[in-house]
Amino acid sequence: MSVKKEYSAKRKRFINNTIVHVILAILAIIWVFPIFWVILTSFRAEKGSYVSTFFPQSYTLDNYIRLFTDTSILNFPQMFMNTLFVAICSCILSSFYVLAVSYCLSRLRFKMRKPYMNMAMILGLFPGFMSMIAVYFILKALGLTEGNLIRLALILCYSGSAGLGFQIAKGFFDTIPLAVDEAALIDGCSRWQIFSKITLPLSKPIIIYTVLTAFMAPWVDFIFARVICRANADQYTVAIGLWRMLEKEYIDSWYTSFAAGAVLISIPIAILFLSLQKYYVDGLSGAVKG
Amino acid sequence: MKRKIAALAAAILASVAVAGCGIAGDSDGAQREKVRLMVWSPSEDQSKESGEWLQTTCEQFAKEHPEWDITFVYGVADEATAPGSVKQDPEASADVYMFANDGLSAMIDANTVVKFGGKYAEEIRATNSPEIVESLTKDGEIYGVPFTTNTWFMYYDKSVFSEEDVKNLDTMLEKGVVSFPLTNSWYLPAFYIGNGCTLFGDGTQEELGVDFGGENAVEVTNYLIDLVDNPNFRVDADGSGIAGLRDGSISAMFSGSWDANAVKEALGDNMGVAALPTYTLNGEEVQMMAYAGSKAIAVNPNCEYMVPAVELAIYLGSAKAQEDHYVLRNVIPCNTELLAQDNIANDPLVAAQNRTFNETSILQPFVASMNNCWTPVENMGKGIRNKTVTHENAKEQTEAMNEAMNSSGI
Repeated sequence: MSVKKEYSAKRKRFINNTIVHVILAILAIIWVFPIFWVILTSFRAEKGSYVSTFFPQSYTLDNYIRLFTDTSILNFPQMFMNTLFVAICSCILSSFYVLAVSYCLSRLRFKMRKPYMNMAMILGLFPGFMSMIAVYFILKALGLTEGNLIRLALILCYSGSAGLGFQIAKGFFDTIPLAVDEAALIDGCSRWQIFSKITLPLSKPIIIYTVLTAFMAPWVDFIFARVICRANADQYTVAIGLWRMLEKEYIDSWYTSFAAGAVLISIPIAILFLSLQKYYVDGLSGAVKG
Repeated sequence: MKRKIAALAAAILASVAVAGCGIAGDSDGAQREKVRLMVWSPSEDQSKESGEWLQTTCEQFAKEHPEWDITFVYGVADEATAPGSVKQDPEASADVYMFANDGLSAMIDANTVVKFGGKYAEEIRATNSPEIVESLTKDGEIYGVPFTTNTWFMYYDKSVFSEEDVKNLDTMLEKGVVSFPLTNSWYLPAFYIGNGCTLFGDGTQEELGVDFGGENAVEVTNYLIDLVDNPNFRVDADGSGIAGLRDGSISAMFSGSWDANAVKEALGDNMGVAALPTYTLNGEEVQMMAYAGSKAIAVNPNCEYMVPAVELAIYLGSAKAQEDHYVLRNVIPCNTELLAQDNIANDPLVAAQNRTFNETSILQPFVASMNNCWTPVENMGKGIRNKTVTHENAKEQTEAMNEAMNSSGI
């Protein structure tokens, strides 16, 4: 009797697991499918944007080679370096802003604290590109819309509003016991020392989360780059370059290279995510446990 | 405003006269005026591989005008996006830039383009066909120096169709597979316009609205429904037309000069180019009529050095510059003298584009209400492709399209 029961429970679990796994497998295929298709397209030897077969008839590396050698119309290597530079700089800057602001709002008590948080909340409801044209004219008034200064303008753009995106990091800092801070204060630490020597080392997951999102934003942004770069082709970022490859004059000859470009720009993000993913999950689930 | 522009135009003319005297006066070049001109063009015009047309032409211009010490600043903006970029910040934009004429109304409204008057207007009129000049004219004033026409025509496989066949779409459909971008509202109206539908009267009378309704339009819709059912017809979308030419599953497609190299590669010596065919509607031959426009060079009214800028615009649109453009980049010229030259007149691509422009097209209206015309037509095309538009509801659907084209949708 009891043997039979055990058997049926096992069986039940097996069936459940099978169903769950099949469903997950189907979903995984659906999700991975477009990515797989882009990768396939990037290795496709036949030209053009439309093909009648899913799998390319022949494979080649030329699409990648072309991206880096044919700089006559679209200078991809330069765009890639521009984007990388802008993304790294604004990543460093905005991570610092976010962490510093979050720390202040979490630990310090000052008059403007509540009003500031409310204001940030309300401002956060508006999409950033609403202010796009205004931002452009402010940058122009500062003389940042010509030549190499455009890069600085882009960095400012991407990191400038970072102080408003403190919510998640603040939530994380709130979970670190205040007693740790107090102990440090008694031992004679300044606020800066508490922040840099105690809070930050305890907050690895959220730092990594912040860095990741701060890197992603400029890396994939199109609108601001487009508005600020205008006709300065030497300052274009990858997003603008990829967009241009799909214009009607270029699409036929550049389509496969477009796919190659798309694969290439996803590599840095993919590496970052893969190597940091375990912290990423921790970062969103809270800090000191127990 | 008008007076200001008139004064500006007068100032241009006056200073041209002064500058003219200047050349004769000081040949030592000691008093050369320092000039900074920002020029925007598509990136191919500036790339080494296609001969740096822009830089070369600008240098030549500088040589021909020793009275100015010109510094050129080049920027990248193609004809379709340049008007928008200039509008964003006219003061920090190119002095001389290129645009497609469908952006003209918006450019005039935003005051980002100067009128060409006096001898410049005469020169433009003298070297171009009246249709092209008209495509850049609003209220009797010319706003740009044209350098090429912009329209679409037909590519076909000579081994499948004879020159007789390509005169009629239905004849072609009996012999081979034809692909048409039915869901693209730049192409689809060709059938409707051919059968007497009109847009804004002659294209400039905005108050007259669009006439894509009525019996003649319903006939066309019915024709298109049958066309989609034809086993030899393919809807060209997302580049399926050119892909079909490559693998041989399609023998004719409709596109513009930008696809010429790809078609040449696909068909080789069998590449045929022709103006738009007719189609047979209720036993009668009806000519398809494409939208046509032009690409031209504009001068920004915020330009500091107006005379050199206007002169440069004229120079970039001159016969010599157009010829170089044609040789280096295959940009089809529109200068009437050039078109008469043997080497250019014998190019089938040039012939097809110009025949389309002159005979089988209407000037694409650039009135502001034209913006309302794109989506309804596209939806009609998609409806026909998806078979939601049928013979039974063709009349209602056509009327609905007409109504939507005549309203702003807000």
